[in-house]
Amino acid sequence: MNEFIPLMVIIPIACALLLNLFHKKDKTVILMGIIVAIVLPIIPLIANYGLHYFGGHAPLITNSTLLSTLPSTIQNSALALFHPAVTYSYGALQKIFIFILGIIAFFAIFNSLSQNKKVSGPLMFLMFMGTAAVTAILLSDDIFHMYIFFEISALTQTGIILTSKTENNYETALKYMILGSIGGPLLLLGIGFVLGAVGSVNITDIVYAISHNLVDPLSPTLLFAFGLIFFGWLYTSGLPPFHTIKSGVYSKALPNASVLLQAFTVIIFIAIGIAIFRIFSYLPFFKTLIVVFSLIAMVLGVTMAIMQTDFRRMIAFLAVGELGYIGLGFGLATKLSITAGLFQAVNELVITALLFIGFGTILYLTKISDTRKLGGMIQHNSIVAIMVLIGGFAMAGVPPLNGFQSKLMIIQASLQSGFPEISIIAILVSIVTFMVFMKAYHSIYLKPKPNDLVGADKLVPRSSIAAIAILLIICIVLGLFPHLVTDNISQFAMGLI
Amino acid sequence: MTDILLILGDTQLMSLFTAAAFIVVGLFAAIFLDNIIKKIIGIAFIEEGANLFIVALGYKAGGVVPIFLPGMSADWFAANSAYPLPQALVLTSIVIGASTLAVMLAISMVLYKKYGTLSASEILGDKKTQTLAEKNAGDNNE
Repeated sequence: MNEFIPLMVIIPIACALLLNLFHKKDKTVILMGIIVAIVLPIIPLIANYGLHYFGGHAPLITNSTLLSTLPSTIQNSALALFHPAVTYSYGALQKIFIFILGIIAFFAIFNSLSQNKKVSGPLMFLMFMGTAAVTAILLSDDIFHMYIFFEISALTQTGIILTSKTENNYETALKYMILGSIGGPLLLLGIGFVLGAVGSVNITDIVYAISHNLVDPLSPTLLFAFGLIFFGWLYTSGLPPFHTIKSGVYSKALPNASVLLQAFTVIIFIAIGIAIFRIFSYLPFFKTLIVVFSLIAMVLGVTMAIMQTDFRRMIAFLAVGELGYIGLGFGLATKLSITAGLFQAVNELVITALLFIGFGTILYLTKISDTRKLGGMIQHNSIVAIMVLIGGFAMAGVPPLNGFQSKLMIIQASLQSGFPEISIIAILVSIVTFMVFMKAYHSIYLKPKPNDLVGADKLVPRSSIAAIAILLIICIVLGLFPHLVTDNISQFAMGLI
Repeated sequence: MTDILLILGDTQLMSLFTAAAFIVVGLFAAIFLDNIIKKIIGIAFIEEGANLFIVALGYKAGGVVPIFLPGMSADWFAANSAYPLPQALVLTSIVIGASTLAVMLAISMVLYKKYGTLSASEILGDKKTQTLAEKNAGDNNE
């Protein structure tokens, strides 16, 4: 039933709005929050693949009776093929990512509810609204629709930082908003140029118009549009030069919220990345540009991560580096590389969530995120410490975990494409990632406990342990059986190229 | 002179020029001015410039409002109506822009109460700026 497709967006939005109505009724908020959080990963599993046309407005070509009543100028033109309404497209790729997003949203919401004595209605509202916005971005086949939901997700991310009540959170939120308010309209302007050239904002229509030479593919209008949209993509994804502000955003949110924020970033990165790839991959410099920015993100990400003493900022910068691997997949533009890049995106979602929740337990226990002031935490809860260690191994690409599989595929893809230099950089970045993680892990868990470290007598919340364990199981399963994801993604990648 | 008059008389072209001017002025204010409120006004200029640009795309000289009324032939309507899509897009964009501005202004108010200044370099810069509370505590100690 294709009715499930819009429900993936409508349910979290409706829940978010209802939570506002039930503000201060804590039991209702908790009940509704948990029920909807459970439903989120279930809907993509039961929904059938297909298209959903809002308002039932399918392309005119599908309705011959209506088409025959229209002027011949429309009947005989590409307008008959164009999509008159917002279209949602649901396939294997969307299923995987929305399912994973649902699981992460569930853990973030459940942990927030179970670990805070006071229920934060606004935080719940923002988490559900952000999840809905990101799901819409992933489903949408309409570039303007993507822009609108990106702006909504940016607002929710700002709200999440504001509700976190961490030090200097308002300053970070304003910085993010000012940069976003420059990046967002420039993205809109790029969409405006595409609209001016093609007359539609539907991605399938735009691709049709360009591929059938209805517009000049190398016209200055489209080139300028590419520049603006590409700039917007860098901002939305936190790629350089926006990597510092994005990592600041992660570090100012509470760990459970950071889990969701990084998931939003990764999904927006791939959704807009795929849209850009579909529209502009014919440009001669497209692949080079993507590869260059991806390599910069990888190198800058790990380089900045080395210098961090706050483990939240460290994970945030490592996450930027991991985005570079996904970008490489798009940039190399082969079936294997795109499959590898998208598989890496799935893995990054899971691994970074694991690390944020895992290291978040330290913040919960000690209220400290500075690695210099921590130590000896392995004695406190060795099971969590071991699970976090394996999660770090997965991020660094240690076999046989999922990170290893996706990074190996990216290296193979770059070798197949005739770029051994890229594989060398990818391996080096992976090694540095391992070193950065081990340095932080040693500081937090292995070195002797400082005498002035207090608050470590509390127990790690069971909800966090369960979340880490389940995410770790996903890492191991995807490491041992990568085809569970790659088989589905490779079909999508084939269609993309 | 005739060329300039022709350009000035072309509503669409003038709108596009105005949009470009809005965006350039807005970018200058957002990047180079230090006062946060002025930055926000600059951002509003950028947003409105982008909106005006998109609205101008749908303009049709001598066109009619894109509402199909009884008595109109489909051919005539298709040839003479303005393009409605940009207007619909901009309506949504204006709402989003207004929400963004509201949130930014609200955050600015909080930061002004905290620091007693609206200087972006002091509030958002890398150097640690004393908050009003810290300044007051320092004055009391003296």
